[in-house]
This record gives sequence, C-alpha cells and structure tokens, in this order.
Amino acid sequence: MTSAATSVEPVAPGPAAPPAKPAPTGPSPWRRVRGWPLTLVLAAVTGLSIAPFYWLVVSATRSDGEIFSWPPKLLPGSHLGDNIGHLQDRVGLGRVLLNSLLVSGLQTLGGLVVALLAGYAFAKFRFRGRTVLFAVLLSTLVVPDQVMLVPLFKMMMSFGMLDSYQALILPGLCVPFAIFLMRQSLSAMPDELLDAARVDGAGELRVLFGIVVPVMRPVLAALGIFLFLGSWNSFVWPLIALRSTDMHTLPVALATLQGMKANTDYGSILAGTAISTLPMMVLFLVLQRQFISGLLAGATKG
Amino acid sequence: MTAAAPPVTRPAAPAAVRPAAVRRARLRRRAVPYLLLAPALILFGVFKAYPIISSMLLSLTAGSGSVTHSAGLSNYQRLLHDPLFWTALGNTARILVVQVPVMLALALLLAVGLNAAFVRWRTVWRLGVFMPTVTGLVATGILFSFLLNTKDGAVNNLLDSIGLPTVDWFGDGFWARMAVVLVLTWHYTGYNAVIYLAGLQGIPKELYEAAMVDGAGPVRRFRSVTLPALRPVLLFTVVLSTIGTLQLFDEPYVLTRGGPDNATLTVSMYLYDNGFRYFDFGYASAIAYALTLLVSVLGAAQMRLMGERE
Amino acid sequence: MSHLSRRDLLRASGAGLLTLTAGGALAACGGSNGSGSSGGDAATGNITVWSWTSAADALRGVVPAFEKDNPGIKVDVQDVGNPAIWDKITVGLAAGGQGLADVLHIGCDYLPGYLEKFPNGLADLSALGADAHKDKFAKGLWPVVTDKDGKARALPWEVNAQGFFYRKDMFDRAKLDPTTFETWDDVIAGADAFKAANPGVGVLGINKPGTPGPDVDFLQSLMQQQGAFYFDLKGDITLTSPECVRALTLVKRLNDAGLVIETPGSTAWRTQMKDSQLGAGPQPSWAAHYIETKFPDLSGNWRLTRPPAVTPGGKRTAIVNTTHLAVAASSPRRTAAWKFVEYALTRADSVNAMFKAGSVFPALTAAYQDPIYSEPSAYYGGQPVLKTFTDLLSEGGDATNYSGDYARALKLVSDAQTKVLVKGGDPAEALQEAAKQLAQQTGRKIK
Repeated sequence: MTSAATSVEPVAPGPAAPPAKPAPTGPSPWRRVRGWPLTLVLAAVTGLSIAPFYWLVVSATRSDGEIFSWPPKLLPGSHLGDNIGHLQDRVGLGRVLLNSLLVSGLQTLGGLVVALLAGYAFAKFRFRGRTVLFAVLLSTLVVPDQVMLVPLFKMMMSFGMLDSYQALILPGLCVPFAIFLMRQSLSAMPDELLDAARVDGAGELRVLFGIVVPVMRPVLAALGIFLFLGSWNSFVWPLIALRSTDMHTLPVALATLQGMKANTDYGSILAGTAISTLPMMVLFLVLQRQFISGLLAGATKG
Repeated sequence: MTAAAPPVTRPAAPAAVRPAAVRRARLRRRAVPYLLLAPALILFGVFKAYPIISSMLLSLTAGSGSVTHSAGLSNYQRLLHDPLFWTALGNTARILVVQVPVMLALALLLAVGLNAAFVRWRTVWRLGVFMPTVTGLVATGILFSFLLNTKDGAVNNLLDSIGLPTVDWFGDGFWARMAVVLVLTWHYTGYNAVIYLAGLQGIPKELYEAAMVDGAGPVRRFRSVTLPALRPVLLFTVVLSTIGTLQLFDEPYVLTRGGPDNATLTVSMYLYDNGFRYFDFGYASAIAYALTLLVSVLGAAQMRLMGERE
Repeated sequence: MSHLSRRDLLRASGAGLLTLTAGGALAACGGSNGSGSSGGDAATGNITVWSWTSAADALRGVVPAFEKDNPGIKVDVQDVGNPAIWDKITVGLAAGGQGLADVLHIGCDYLPGYLEKFPNGLADLSALGADAHKDKFAKGLWPVVTDKDGKARALPWEVNAQGFFYRKDMFDRAKLDPTTFETWDDVIAGADAFKAANPGVGVLGINKPGTPGPDVDFLQSLMQQQGAFYFDLKGDITLTSPECVRALTLVKRLNDAGLVIETPGSTAWRTQMKDSQLGAGPQPSWAAHYIETKFPDLSGNWRLTRPPAVTPGGKRTAIVNTTHLAVAASSPRRTAAWKFVEYALTRADSVNAMFKAGSVFPALTAAYQDPIYSEPSAYYGGQPVLKTFTDLLSEGGDATNYSGDYARALKLVSDAQTKVLVKGGDPAEALQEAAKQLAQQTGRKIK
C-alpha cells in the first residue's frame, strides 16, 4: 500500500486481513454481466427523477390551456414556438440570459477561488484565530437570509451600487458552504504531498495550484456546479437589488410573467423554466467528466 | 496550540540552513494562512458583517415597520410563549428527522452506483439523477400539485392501482408533511449524490484493491473503505442538510404555504410571514436568531458526534 | 476529521456568537439611520411605476396621451410581477422608503398594512388634491385608501365585486334557475336536484385545506354582504360576531349539502372548470374575461347573476378586492407622480382604455357609462355580462376595514375554515379560537 493511501484514511480501516487471493483486475466476463442489474436500478431511479422534468419539457411545448387540462398531456405539443416568442416579447431572452450567464459565471469563478484559498488555509494550516474565523465565516450559513435582506439593501444603497452587476456578484463571492466543503475535502488529502513540494522549495501558491488543485479537480467540479446553480437560481436578492429591466436575470424576468391568477401565462413561464435548465445541464455534463478516480494515486507517484 | 503556529505539517527544515533565514521563512509561513483567508474575510467584513449585526440588533426592537422602539429581550420572551412558533419548530423537526437520513442514505447509494466502473451509460444516469436539482421552484410547485392531487393525481392513481389506500396529500397534516419530505428528497438527493460522487474520487483504488485481497465483499468494502474515507464529506452533507432543512422555506411555500391548519408551517416560513407579511421585522429577527442558535448548537453537536467516532 | 476537533467546535460556536454580539456595539454607533430620504415635490422629470402583468400593459397604454398632455414628464411602467412586487416594496419601505419607484401598484391585502406599519412610506395625496375625487369611486372604497388621520395615501383603480357565475346547461338539467335564488338557502334547497342531474359536479370549489394559501374569498364575501368583516371600522376584532359565524356556518352547510368540491392546490380550479366539474363559481369581476378566454370550449354555457344574499332581503354586493396606485413618499417628483396617478385613475377615458387593454375593472363609477359595460356577450349567451357588475358596484358595498393586521387575520380565518371543512369543527368555536389568537398577536380588542 502506498503512503498516500494510508494517510488519506483518517480512521482505522477495520481489521487488517492477511493478503490472500489476487485482486481481480480489469473487466472480466462476470463483471460485464453484473453491470446490468445496477444499470437497470439506476435507470429506474433516473426515470423517477426525470419524469417530472419530462412533464416540464412537455408543458413548455403546450399552450397555457393545455397545461391545465385533465388528464395531463404526455406528449409534446406545438406551442413551443409561441411560448418562446411570447417570452421573447415580454422579457427579451437574449439580454436576460446574457445577464444571468455573466453574473453566475463570475460569481462561480470568484467563489471557487475564494473558497479554495480559505478552505486550504483552514484545512492545512494551524494558526491563531483559526476556529474563531471559521465560525465567523460559517455564521452567514446559519443566519437565515431573509433577515439580512433589508440591511444589505440599505448598505448597497449607501454604496451607490444598486442596479449594478457588482450588487449581484460581490455579496455572493464569499460562500460559507463552499469554504466548508473545500475545507472538508482538503482535510482528507494527504499532507505528504504538500510537504514534498515544500521541501523542494515551492511557494504556497505553487503548492496550491500545482498540486492541490489537480488532485481536487472532482471537488472543484462539484463545487463549480453548485455555485453556478445557486447563483443561476438566485431570485430574491436580484429582485430587490435591480431597478432596470435591462439588468434582469432570468429568474427575475420569469417572475414578471406572474400576475394575478387571471393573467399568468404558465406556458411561457414553464418554457422559460425549461430553457433555464439548459445551461445547467451543459455545465453539469462538462464538469462531471472531472469525476474520475485515481487522481490522488497518480499525484503521489508523480 | 500557543502563538501563531506553523502549518500542521511542519516540513523538516534542512539542517544546513542558517537560523536567520529559517526565522524569515517561518514568519512568511505564518502570514500565509491569513493571506489565503484575506479575500474571504474582506468580503465577509464588507458584505455580511453589517447585515448580521444589524439584524441582530433589530431583534431587540419591538413595534413594526418603521415604528419601532428598543425592547430588550422581549421579542425572545414573546417567542417562548408563541404557540405558532412552537408548532413551526415541531413541524420543522419532524420533517428533518425523516427527511435528512432518508435522503442522504439514498444519495450515498446512488453515488456508489453512479461511480461503479461497470455500469453502462453512467453519464446519462448521472445527469438524470441531477436533473431535479435544476428544476425551478414554480415548475416544481405546479408539477407536484398535479402529481399529488388527492382526487386524481398520478401518485394516488398508482397507489390505487396496486391496491393501496389513496392519500389525502394536502388535506391531512401528516401526509402534507410527507409530501414536503417527498418533494425535498426528489429535489436534493441528486445534489448530495454529486457531492459524494466527487468525494468518492478521492479514495485511492489501492484501498479497495487491498480490501479485495483481504477477501472483503462489496458490502464489507463499502463499510470499511468507502464510509470511513468519505467521513469528512458525509459530515459536510449531514450538517448542510440539517441547516438546509431547519431553514426550510421554498418547498412548503409553493406546495402548502404552511397548511393545512399550520401542519407544514416551518420556522423560516413563520419568520417570513412576520417580516414580510406582518412587517414585524423585530420579531422576525428574533425568530431568525433563535433559529440560528438552534442550528449552531445542532451543527456543532453533529460535528462533535461524527468527529468522535474514530 | 483530523482537522476539526470537538474542542475546536465547541469553542467555535461560542466564539462565533461572541464575535457577533461584540460587533453589535460597533454597528450601533456607525449604523445607518433608517429614516430615509424625505423626497421632493418636483412636477417634472422621469417617473417609474411598479406594477404587474397585465395591469402594467394597460397602464402603459395611458402613457403616450399623458406624456403629450404633460410635457416634461416621462413615465416608465415596469412589470415587476406579482407576488414578487410585495417583497420589493416591503424591503424598500423597511429601508426607510429608499429605493422605491415613484408610483406603486398596491393591492388591498397589502395597502392597509403598509399604511399602518409604515406611516410615512406613502405620500399624502390629500395634500396634492386627492380629496376632490373622493366620491368618484364605488361606495365603500375610500376608507381603504385613507390612513388613520383621514388622509388619502392611494387612489382606487381596480375593483372586483363578487358575481355568481353558473353553468346554465347544468342548472337547466336540474330544473333550477339561479336568477331566482334570493338567498344561499335557495341554493341548498336545490342541492339534491342539482346533484341528481349532474353527478359528481360541485356548485362551488374551495381549497379546503388552504394549501397553498388561503381560499377564503367566498367566506369573506358572505361576511361583507352582511356589512361585517374581520374588524369593525374602529379596528376591533369582530370574528365572533353573529354575521361572521353565520357566514362560516353557511359555508359549512353548503359543504355538508355536498355542494362544495375540494379544489386542491393552485391549479385544480382551472382544471375542474375546464373539465366541467364545477357548476357555478362565486367569482369576482375579473373572472368574466378569464372564463371566456381560458375555457373557449364552454362558450354559451356560462351565465352570470347577482350572488344570493346571506339573509332574506340582504345585500347582494360584496367587494372582494381592490388594487390601488400610490406615490412613494421618498419620490423626489411626487407632484409629477401624482399627476400621472390622477390622469390614469380619475378619467373615464383612461380607466376604460385600461379595462379594454388589460381587463382591469375600474373603481371609477363614471366609467360605467361606457357602452362596453352593457354590450351583450356571445360567450355568455348574449347576456350583457358586465352590466351585472356595474349594477352591483353602483349599489356599492359597505366600507371594509382590512386593517394593518389583515394578513394575520386572513391566515387565522383560513385556518378556522380548514378546521370546519376538513376536521368537522364547529364554526363558532373555530372563529372564537381565531379571534383569541388574533387578539393575542395584535393586541386588538375582541368586540
């Protein structure tokens, strides 16, 4: 066993047993057969997960009236164009998507860097004030957002930042849960890796970006997905902080389609909701490719 | 540990280096964690400190809207005698106790499945499991009001067709809470599965190989390799889900708005009502900080419990 | 978990709280004051209006004429969405009136609360001349827009009187004629005939558990028809009055007679209407346009009449809800903003143009002279359907004191209705309980 393997394991891995049978490596015919039952289970779970999503997509292609007919329509209809056209008239999809992409993109990148640096400090250094600072940063996670809205609004007002991209991006860069996740994940990383580099005289930033980041790729990818998701769906703060229609992000724009019961066009809202999931899906597909195991083993040997 | 200490893992300094250089290097090293933390701390100081402190002070005022006066701890006393607050707390606790364990167990199993090399078309299943997380709230609300419709919703039709009694999802307090649990689980299982999936990548293959050499079966390998190695991440999800559920707002807001007869009223919804419906921001802040205290204590307890098991 | 020891955590939670409390002192010294800006009375400039669909579209239609008649004022009407607009206005008011638009579209469920809890948040329109229009709106509406000192803080725009929509085909089948219903007892008397002729169909649908959100418009209208409400004009709680108990008892009796079907969630009513599961709907004015556009297949089947009274010879009118335009006190251009509000809401031309554009039923009674309100509607079998509403509104309602605690009362009354309809509770007891809780929460007296 490599040293990395033992130190990655912070707890006793159960009773050590004597080496016996050779480890089965590579796909055997038996494993190929075994893949099917699990695949079927996962397919079933996926079915349950996405059935509601399927309904969303179908509804996006249906008129407002058809969405509420009984029994529910199960096949796509012909109103996708109408719904998107209406959406385009009312909220200007291009501009709104661009706003959302810009805000969420910057917030995700910034949030990742902030969380990586802070998580690294908390996980791999021991310094005065460590626990206190961690608690302070975590406090924003436990205080409900609703009570912070009014003071934050007042503050942004006095900064003269309302109705700007900064107002949306800046307060969302220091994300306590991201720092927490980085810290937890980094604490599972073997120190030997870092020490070796430090002995070679590498600076902390080189250690961080040369060694830690490559190994943390799966976690950074997951975190990137979450940060983007959080920012992408963020609604209340942008609603409060924005003044002009030009600045609207997608959720704020979709909310404008809701009126009194009588005047809400659900066809367009659901079409907009369906469209808003597309960038998330693309991002997920791109980033999930980082979920590859063995990064750690490779890093130790190299 | 006393004074600002060197990193946890003190690299053995080569003996040949002169003391002055060592001291300088050590000083630089001491500054490193603070420099790393600087962006987070500055952002916190500028954008979070004031709202937190200000809302905390607000919880010490009474009156409503713009007509307020200092009230000491009276909001907190009122809280202790407010039956609706306790109802909300009870509901939240009941949802928490069922929902968090079920969801996390499911997410963990899913993640292991989605990570297995021999599963076909993994990317498809991964995306599928993640999809509910990205479905917007308005859509979720409409959708589940269809699915859980008491009279002819899809779920009741299914129960009926397999000979089970149908359920009054939104009319009965217990089932309304179950409906919230169901939707929460649908919404967030994939989210947690992705965290686990990322965590699984950090477990060296060697550990599994060694366990297999020892003759451990899949269940044994899961228990003695996967679980211990995932512990930091498990702790993270337990704490996060607990906080998330204690602050539960969105799902009951779109599904039940706290009904029937307050059976799904959560602390966060009650907080919102007091602030944004009744304009009593002082009381709303008191509810928020009572919740904060509770979340902090529970979170600390969880960390303690899960840290101690070693 | 090598890097997070238990001791650390205990310290962390304690220290975190300490830091926060210690920091409190700092903010107390340096914190911003919440008094906000005092606004100004400029008569020209650019003004912004916050509204929601489709009222915003209707309002936009008035802008070109207004700008032509009032050079120097430019109007930007923004669609904020409903319910999103409430969070936006509430945060602005809570921040001392800062950051609000110049003109705000506010419903009767929020306006009295804003007036009571944020007394200086909305501009005093009486000072700008609003009182001249006092008698131009349907009876009963002016008290809703005035504060406790009698100053107008908004003007009524949309008004929704309750009507009784019914499926003529279904009632014909049961050999019943809703236009002859004098009281709701007549409806209950016809219950068996109706049910026999229309199996599985309800006369009205109520979201009995109140999920998501209260469904008490009907109950409320029964109180209003008797000149009663949750509060009297002094602001005392009147939930235990004979009128309120009679109203909830009537809902229970309709339910017991099998006339009320469960309309769960936010979507079922639409589905049930479409699917012919509902034989009638006590619905407000907006429903005339709504039913026509959403259920085109049912053309010719729907009719409208006045709602039955609660007691023999009792009032037929109930004004279920109203919306209003107000001017933010913090607006630097209050006069310009007022000019727009006055232009949009006190001229028959404007409100009728808005009615045609966005089916916002006007509160301005002078508007009812317009021929559109007496035009026969093909969808409603040639009936001049809007005339029913203008007649009801000309009669006028009693003033309803929503009070600053309407939201609390609404929730408690909804809970009471749920107790009665779902759990078989006693109406008087349920209202007693609601009144007690309301008194406890608000410090108001029970009358």
